Amino acid sequence: MKKRFFAVVLGAVMAVSALGVVASAEEVTANGDYTFEIIVKSYQSSYWQAAVKGIDSEKEKLGVTANSNGPNAESDIADQVNMLNDAIAKKPDGIGLAACDQEAVLDSLQAAKDAGIPVVLFDSGVPDAPEGSVYSLIATDNYGAGATAAENLYEALKDKIAAAEAPVRIGEVNQEATSESITGRGLGFIDKFAELATADGKSVAVVGNEYYVNNCADAGDEASADIIIEVAVPAQTTVELCATEASNIMNKEDLIGIFGSNQVAAEGILTANGNLGILGSDPETSVLAAGFDAGATIKAAVTDGTMFGAVTQSPLAMGITTVDVLTKIANGEEVEDVPTEGYWYNAETIDDESIAPNLYD
Amino acid sequence: MANQNTAVAAKKKSSLDKLGGQKFIVILVIIALFLFFSVMSANFRKYTTIVSILDYSYYIVLMSIGVTFPLITGGVDLSIGTGLICYSLVGGYLISFHNFPVWGGMLVTVLFGVAIGLVNGTLVAVMDIPPFLVTLCTCMITRGLGAIIVGGFGITWPTATQPGGWFRNIFKISIDARTKIPIGIVWVLILVAVMSFVLNHTKIGRYTIGIGSNKEAARLSGVNVKFYHIMAYVISGLFAGLAAIAYSAVFATVQPGTGAGFELEAIGGAIIGGVSASGGAGSVTGSLLGVFVICLLKTGLPFIGLQANWQQIITGLVLIGAVLIDVIKKRREVH
Repeated sequence: MKKRFFAVVLGAVMAVSALGVVASAEEVTANGDYTFEIIVKSYQSSYWQAAVKGIDSEKEKLGVTANSNGPNAESDIADQVNMLNDAIAKKPDGIGLAACDQEAVLDSLQAAKDAGIPVVLFDSGVPDAPEGSVYSLIATDNYGAGATAAENLYEALKDKIAAAEAPVRIGEVNQEATSESITGRGLGFIDKFAELATADGKSVAVVGNEYYVNNCADAGDEASADIIIEVAVPAQTTVELCATEASNIMNKEDLIGIFGSNQVAAEGILTANGNLGILGSDPETSVLAAGFDAGATIKAAVTDGTMFGAVTQSPLAMGITTVDVLTKIANGEEVEDVPTEGYWYNAETIDDESIAPNLYD
Repeated sequence: MANQNTAVAAKKKSSLDKLGGQKFIVILVIIALFLFFSVMSANFRKYTTIVSILDYSYYIVLMSIGVTFPLITGGVDLSIGTGLICYSLVGGYLISFHNFPVWGGMLVTVLFGVAIGLVNGTLVAVMDIPPFLVTLCTCMITRGLGAIIVGGFGITWPTATQPGGWFRNIFKISIDARTKIPIGIVWVLILVAVMSFVLNHTKIGRYTIGIGSNKEAARLSGVNVKFYHIMAYVISGLFAGLAAIAYSAVFATVQPGTGAGFELEAIGGAIIGGVSASGGAGSVTGSLLGVFVICLLKTGLPFIGLQANWQQIITGLVLIGAVLIDVIKKRREVH
């Protein structure tokens, strides 16, 4: 267990320096015995396992104290606000926060500012944060990450689309239509796919969940479109409802590709496929699925070719960067926002050293 | 007095009751829903869709069989939903991180459910705390406890191709990628038959009904009310544990912090199936049928293109309808 932990940490440091996600991890040194309070969004996804690992490895490396905490679920907004207020009361040298809710934390951010405690946001931004309270935002470019999935899926499907005589369908399962991260990915996928298809002379229509239809670049006209992108959002963010919505789309004969925009949605697609058996990696004989994030099930499906590929964020890098940026602020250095990328991986690249450390179980 | 009332009630038995009561209506509703969705959507009337409906219903059916017992005592068990996730997390954690054999993890999962059932039952029956409060507390406790025990992270039980993946075949046998036999329905039906027998032909069942219809009378006639009252909650916990195994076998990753709301589908199913909202009456077969109504709605409504939030509204309306039938029936029997 311990050995594995150090292997992961080592891999993380290597990956981070290799990818240049952090300007340079080596440059950061702590000029004092700092204490930071870091609050993650939830423990609802194994996503946070990697982020907390990043935080823990970097705090040991820099010799600072970083206490991580977080509510049970992303919907436990009040719990997280309480944790944030407790963190402010401890008067740490800095606070790292992945906010569950963009509105609920506003008063606390003002309180942190009044108390002179710098806040670094990671994973998700707070657009209306009081001026001067947030020093840096470290987050995946979700819109770009969704577009990455669309680029890879379109590349694999474009010959089939070009040769198609009847309209074809692309599915998208999003676990909700409210958070900045999920809607960003969903819209990024839709807009990029539509852009690429339009450039090749095909017309695109977006149907299904109203939020995505109304907020995408161009919803098109279903009656005349060559490609129909159908977006499904379940009533609750549970895997069985995602699976039901995915089953519905995956039963349609004209489906050629499908995208699940987080771990729950991608696993819902795989659960539905458990009965349908239509997914694979050859566009001529099967439907291609693109996932998001990782976890044992998605990794296994990508490895055996059931899932064509997936986009991973770099939670490890995000955890490491959060501690780095907090340390820099405590040192009195200037900091900026740090965007982190989404990386496409498939059966060939899943074991690459730039990818593997981000693929938590 | 009581005898007179019973006699009057018996005389006033409606034509509906002669046909099998609420269960008869529920069967008609199931058939109607199935036909409606089949006509409306070509994709719904596929074998794979039926297998999917069954897959996603096992854990709700199992919870529903168990929760029928506390409901019949006039109580409720709100801890089964978050409990299910908690037991599944702990069992999966022991398998994945402590080299437990799969059967060992399954055993812990079920025993954990029984233990929480025992706690619920003791607090309700011995300490006389209202069941709603007791199980609301254990609902919150299990929600947090599962996350703490496993370290707050999602847990994946062995996948079908990993060592130990055999347990996923308990509920579904794969012939090939597109041909599956939903064998789980056989086990569910056997359990329904067993628990129907327990409810109708054993002391545990008869005293459960006795506690629900008139607890004081049961106590005065020498029944160890406390013991049988506890047993109702132990049965509920046991079936929440079995439901946890069904859930782990069908779905990929079990996420801490989820599970709240599962209990409402199980309780809603039981009430649609004719368990009296005030206790004293109900059947295990009714609960099974009621859950199928909820699962059909859950799966069918997306197939006819209805957006997600309408599904919840329609399920709520069906539930109100079921409770109204119960209330109207009772009023007719009294007057």
